[in-house]
Amino acid sequence: MRLPLTVISGYLGAGKTTLINRLLAEEHGLRLLVMVNDFGAINIDARLIAAADDDMIALTNGCVCCTMGADLFMALGDVLDRDPRPDHLVIEASGIADPAAIANAARAEPDLSYAGIVTLIDGLNGAALLADPLIAPQVAQQMRVADLLVLTKADSPDAELTEALRQNGIPGPLSLPRAAPLAPLLFGVMPRPGNHAAVPHPAYVGWSCPAPAPMSRTALRDKLNMRPAGIYRLKGFVPGSDGMTEVHVVGTHADLRPAQTGNAGLVALGLADRIGPAEIEAWWAS
Amino acid sequence: MSDITVFAARKIITMDPSRPVASHVAVREGKVLAVGGADCADAWGPVTHDNSLAHAVLMPGFVEGHAHMMAGAMWNFAYAGYHDRIDPQGRLHKGMTDIGAVVARLREHVATLPAGQPLIAWGFDPIFLPTERLNRHHLDQIAADRPVVVMFSNFHLLCANSVALEMSGYSRDTNVEGVVKGDDGEPTGELQEMAAMFPVMRRTGMDFRGLSQKESAIRTYADVCKHAGVTTVTDLFSEMQDSDLAQLLAVTSDPGFALRLVPVLGAVGAAPQDIAQRALALRAKSTDKLRLGAVKLMTDGSIQGWTARVKWPGYVGGQPNGIWNTPPALIHELCATMQKNGVQMHIHVNGDEASAVTLDALEAAARAHPWPGARHVLQHCQMMGPDQFRRCAEMGVCTNIFSNHIWFFGDQHAALTIGEDRATRMDAVRSALDEGVHIAIHSDAPVTSMGPLFTAWCAVNRQTMSGRTLGTEQRITVEEALYAITLGAAYTLKLDAEIGSVETGKIADFAVLGDDPTTVDPMALKDVPVLGTVSGGRVNLI
Ligand SMILES: [Zn+2]
Ligand SMILES: [Zn+2]
Repeated sequence: MRLPLTVISGYLGAGKTTLINRLLAEEHGLRLLVMVNDFGAINIDARLIAAADDDMIALTNGCVCCTMGADLFMALGDVLDRDPRPDHLVIEASGIADPAAIANAARAEPDLSYAGIVTLIDGLNGAALLADPLIAPQVAQQMRVADLLVLTKADSPDAELTEALRQNGIPGPLSLPRAAPLAPLLFGVMPRPGNHAAVPHPAYVGWSCPAPAPMSRTALRDKLNMRPAGIYRLKGFVPGSDGMTEVHVVGTHADLRPAQTGNAGLVALGLADRIGPAEIEAWWAS
Repeated sequence: MSDITVFAARKIITMDPSRPVASHVAVREGKVLAVGGADCADAWGPVTHDNSLAHAVLMPGFVEGHAHMMAGAMWNFAYAGYHDRIDPQGRLHKGMTDIGAVVARLREHVATLPAGQPLIAWGFDPIFLPTERLNRHHLDQIAADRPVVVMFSNFHLLCANSVALEMSGYSRDTNVEGVVKGDDGEPTGELQEMAAMFPVMRRTGMDFRGLSQKESAIRTYADVCKHAGVTTVTDLFSEMQDSDLAQLLAVTSDPGFALRLVPVLGAVGAAPQDIAQRALALRAKSTDKLRLGAVKLMTDGSIQGWTARVKWPGYVGGQPNGIWNTPPALIHELCATMQKNGVQMHIHVNGDEASAVTLDALEAAARAHPWPGARHVLQHCQMMGPDQFRRCAEMGVCTNIFSNHIWFFGDQHAALTIGEDRATRMDAVRSALDEGVHIAIHSDAPVTSMGPLFTAWCAVNRQTMSGRTLGTEQRITVEEALYAITLGAAYTLKLDAEIGSVETGKIADFAVLGDDPTTVDPMALKDVPVLGTVSGGRVNLI
C-alpha cells in the first residue's frame, strides 16, 4: 500500500497549526501521521492524548503527531519504515519552504502517493507579504504550486489581496467549510474498508460513475485535461483496449498509470460552492 | 616523578603579545604553568624535561570556528572530488580532474567492498568539469552488479547507476521533477534535489544523520582535527537529541580524547523561546572538552548555488535572487529571543542582503535587550563590505569569514556568480580588520577541507585555483592570519580566556608543526607540516 502524502503550506501565521489541530481532532477514522515544524505550537486537547514524549504525541484516535527534526527527508524515511504504516501522512511545511519540493517526493518515491498541496493564505496579511520584496517570491511560489488554496482569517479576500493575487497569477482562494469535516477533501473520497461510511456533508459535492465506458489512455488523458476546475479529487479505474487505467487526480495534478487489477468505477469530490454534480456529469458524458 | 613537564621546542609562537616567542613551555595539570626558557618553571619545584618536541615549532592549538562533524565520517564513503584531500588516517587522496579519473578511482574502491554492497561516493563537483555531465553509463562502468551513487559536493544533486535507478523505480515512464532525462527518453542518472534523490538514498542506506551521532563519527572527527593541528572545533549545526548529548559526553570524557568540541544547536524545530531554554539547559551540561550553549541560525543559501540573498545588482547571469531558509521576520524574532535570554548566536549569512537583514535584527535585539558581551558571530560573511563591517564593530558582532572560498570557488564567483568586481572584495578580511571587527576564518569542512594553515594561506595570498590573485587589497599579513586561526577564533567561541595562546593559566593545547609559519615564504604557509597536537598537555603525534 502506498502511503498518501499531503503537504500543508503557508507563511508564518497563516493558520497551519489551527488546520492541523482540526484534522487531528476530526472523526475520520484514519490513522494520520502529522509531521510538524514546531512541536510546542500544537496545543492538543489533553483529553485526546494517549501518550507523549519529546518528539511524538500519540492520540487516542490513532493519530500521531511528531516533529521532523533538522532533516525532513530522514524523518520521511522513518515514517515509511514504521510498522504498521499510518493511513495518511501530513507534513506541515515550514513557513518558508517550497511545498512542491516536499510533495515531489510523493511522485518520486514508489512507497508514497501524491495527495496534494494545501496552501493557506492569511486573509489579513497576505497582500502585505506579496508586496514585501524580501519575501514575496517565496510566498507567491507556495501559492502557485497549491492544489488547494485556502483563505484564513477572513471570509473572502479583500480588494487589495485580490489584486495582489491577480498580479502574481494566482487563482482566488476558497474558504474552508466551517463546520464540515475536512478529511473527505484532504484525504480522499473513499473511506478505509471497515470504517464507518463517509457521511456526505452539504459543503461537499460527490459524484460517481460505477461503470465507466471503455476509453483508451490517450482519450482519458484528453478528457481529464478538460475537467472542470471545481473537481478537487477524482479517483478510480477506467477500462480500455490497452488495459485498466488507474486515475488519481488531486487539484491540478492528474496521474494516470496502467493497473493490473482494480474494479472499474470513478468517484469525484468538490466543494459545493464551486461545482455541482450536474456539471461533473455533463463533462464526463460529453 | 615531577608533576611539571617542561617541553622544549625549536620555537614556540605564543600569540601572547607580552612574550611573542619562547623556547620552552611548562605544563602542570593540563595547563600552561610558565613560558620562557628551559628554566621557566624552576621556581615551581622539580620539573621533568621532555625533548620529544624539540625539533618542532609549537603554536597554540588551532581553533576551527566553523566546521561540521560529518567531515570525519564522510570518509566512510569513497571520495570523488576535484581537489586533493587528506582522510582521517592522514592518507592523501588525489583530486580527480576528469570523469575518467573518477571512474577509475571508484573501480578500485568497489573492488574493496563486499559483494552487493552499494558503492557511495561524495564530493563530486561538476562546476570544475566543464565537460560532459556525469551519467549512469559512466557509473555502470564502475559496477553493474550493485548500486553506485555519487553524491555531489553541494548535496543537492547525485548521480546513480542503472541498478540504483531500477531499484528506485525510475525508468523512461518516470515523470518526476528532478529526474533528468536524456535525448533517448531514459533517465540519465542525475537526480536533482532531495525529493528525487530520496528513493535512491533510502534504498542504498545513505543516512547522513549517522555521520554525526555515532561514537565512530565523533572519533573520526577528532582524527581529522589532529591532522590539521586543531585542538578545538565546532560542529556548527547540531540537533542535540538527549541521546546525542549522552554519546558526546561519554566520548569526550575519555581522557585520551584529544579535542575540545563545541557543538552548536540548530535553532529549528521549536518556538524561539523553547530553543533558548534548550540552549541554556545544554550550557549547564558543559564540560572542559564539550562546550555547549550557543545556537546556529540559518538565513540564506549559498552563492555558488545561486541561492544566497544578494543585493542589487544581483547575479551576473541574471539568475533570480536566492532564497531564505529562515524568513526575515523569524530571523528578527530569533535574534530578539536569544539576545533576551543571553544565548550566543552563530548566524549563517552568505549574500549581502542576508547579512544586512541580520545586522538589522541584531541591532533591534540590542536596543531591546542590551548585552555588551554577546559576541554574536556572523558566519561566512562572503559579500560584506566596509559599511557592514562598521556596523559589526559598533555592535561588537564578530565575523567568521569563509576565506577558503577564494581558492576553491573564486574563479567561479568572478565568472559565473557575482562577477569580477564584487568577487575581488569577497571574504574581505582586510576590510573587517581595518574596521576593528573581531574576526576568524574557516573551512566549513566538509564543504572545503579542514586545515587552518591552508585557510590562513587563502586569506594571506587570495590565490584562486587558476593561479590569479583575487583582490590584492584584501590580503592580510601572516601574523594577522595566525591570530585569526587561534585567538581570533577562540574569541568567537568565548574561549579566549582559556585557549588561543600559549600563556600561563591557559589550557596546554598546542599545534605541533614541522616548520615556522612566520619565516616560510607566505606562499608556502599551506605546506607547513602538521606533526600532531598537544591537548591538555597530552602529546598526540601523527
Ligand atoms: Zn553555512
Ligand atoms: Zn557550515
